[in-house]
Amino acid sequence: MLLARVEGNVVATRKHPSFEGWRFVICQPINNTGQPEGAPQVAIDPHGAGMHQRVIISSDGLAARKAVGDKKSPARWMIVGIVDEKEPGVPV
Amino acid sequence: MRMGLVIGRVTLSQTVPSLIGARWLLVSPFTREHFQHGCEPPAGLSKDPSLVVYDNLGGGVGQTIGYVEGAEATAPFDGPTPIDAINAALVDEIFYSPFEP
Repeated sequence: MLLARVEGNVVATRKHPSFEGWRFVICQPINNTGQPEGAPQVAIDPHGAGMHQRVIISSDGLAARKAVGDKKSPARWMIVGIVDEKEPGVPV
Repeated sequence: MRMGLVIGRVTLSQTVPSLIGARWLLVSPFTREHFQHGCEPPAGLSKDPSLVVYDNLGGGVGQTIGYVEGAEATAPFDGPTPIDAINAALVDEIFYSPFEP
């Protein structure tokens, strides 16, 4: 799983039918100091993460397929949680 | 899912039976700099190596697509299929605002 920051979203009308109604969110993987590293991933978002929020994205396709409810969906990256503090007592 | 610019198409004359008649796109993946330009990325190829993506959505050259890599690319197929990248979305708009601390 990756710690990432939400930096935008993607609109695509023509897509695999299992993605109907799902938000495509651009997540930029970041390191512990917050610097971006690597290429941005586009993840589906069940939690409604806001802009510039830190999230945890997972590349487990099984959980993503369960979330979209389609065994044949090519879904892979999914936001599994929204970070509110990195260490105890240190708000993000 | 990763974004990429379609820079060409590939046609196979010999292939495994499960991929006969498949449509292939040659894609140059987006890096962080590409996102600032939305759907009109800077000319030229990106730093990352280009790849061939299975396509059944009808992506054309010059279009921006979202493709899925890894084992999940074989999910839409019934039988075992030897691919690891599939076109999952034809991108219309990209809204991007990088975070400046």
